[in-house]
Amino acid sequence: MSREHKEYRSKTRIYVDILNSLLKHGGKSGPTHLLLGANLSHERLMKHLAQLMDLGLVSEEIGDNERAFKLTDKGRVFILEFVKVEKFAEAFGITI
Amino acid sequence: MSPQLLVFLVFVMELVSSLISILVGYQASKGYKASSSKSLLFLYMGFTVLGIGILLRAITAVFFALAIRTTETPPNSLVSLSNVAGIIFTLTQLAAYSLFTATYAFQAKSLGQRDMEVGGAVSAAVFPIARLFYIPALELLAITMLGFVAVSSLMHWLHQRSLNAELVFLGFSLMLLSHLLFLFMIFDEVLLFFGQLVQLAGFVCLLIMLAKVNKTGV
Repeated sequence: MSREHKEYRSKTRIYVDILNSLLKHGGKSGPTHLLLGANLSHERLMKHLAQLMDLGLVSEEIGDNERAFKLTDKGRVFILEFVKVEKFAEAFGITI
Repeated sequence: MSPQLLVFLVFVMELVSSLISILVGYQASKGYKASSSKSLLFLYMGFTVLGIGILLRAITAVFFALAIRTTETPPNSLVSLSNVAGIIFTLTQLAAYSLFTATYAFQAKSLGQRDMEVGGAVSAAVFPIARLFYIPALELLAITMLGFVAVSSLMHWLHQRSLNAELVFLGFSLMLLSHLLFLFMIFDEVLLFFGQLVQLAGFVCLLIMLAKVNKTGV
């Protein structure tokens, strides 16, 4: 029986994956793209998006027939800072 | 080169090294706040402790240098005080190196499979006192710990092949070399000066890495 190695993703890493997915879609996207981009179930994605909105990193826009999430300026700054932290940690061989 | 100039140069080298160490610690603390990574916490504590230790040693060495100038033979109380200072500084250093060792060991554990220091003041008059800041047996311990850290960073660099990883490896390796020079200072006191120089070069490597990281854009 083969056992597949599953890499653990920290909460911060999941946040960054969601924010990066939003960034790739021009800073605004519906839940479907985010599900694929962050590789999460719908339930977990919504839970994390609610936390990101509480932190002010993401805002929600509800139209007539669609729901979209938008990266805030604070969210963009967070990604930029996280990239620096990640590069710094990588230099020392630390995985975040 | 005049003894006064040597003292001044060593003081400046220590000062710059300590500031770089504190800067690296600050970057690690930012990383820890953003990610809650324990390895970054160890790195933050290690570089901060090391930076403060170096700074205090530089200031203390200058104090001893000035105190010696006023007397031909250093009083026993001054020599005893310098011994205590030497022990404190070395222990501070060892604490920092232990944290660096913990950084790599913790990372290795969490992946399922990874210190620094500094010198004293110098001149013909200051050498005897400054040398007391270095305790050979503890230097050996520091060398062992730094050896582990340098080899871990070498393996990481070989695996990742990035310039930043190379700079970290060079930084730790030069710090290791500086400790070897401090150890061999018993044969030639001028090695203290070269040890300081090599140590500063190690910190400069880390500073370049820090500058590169902070220039990163999305």
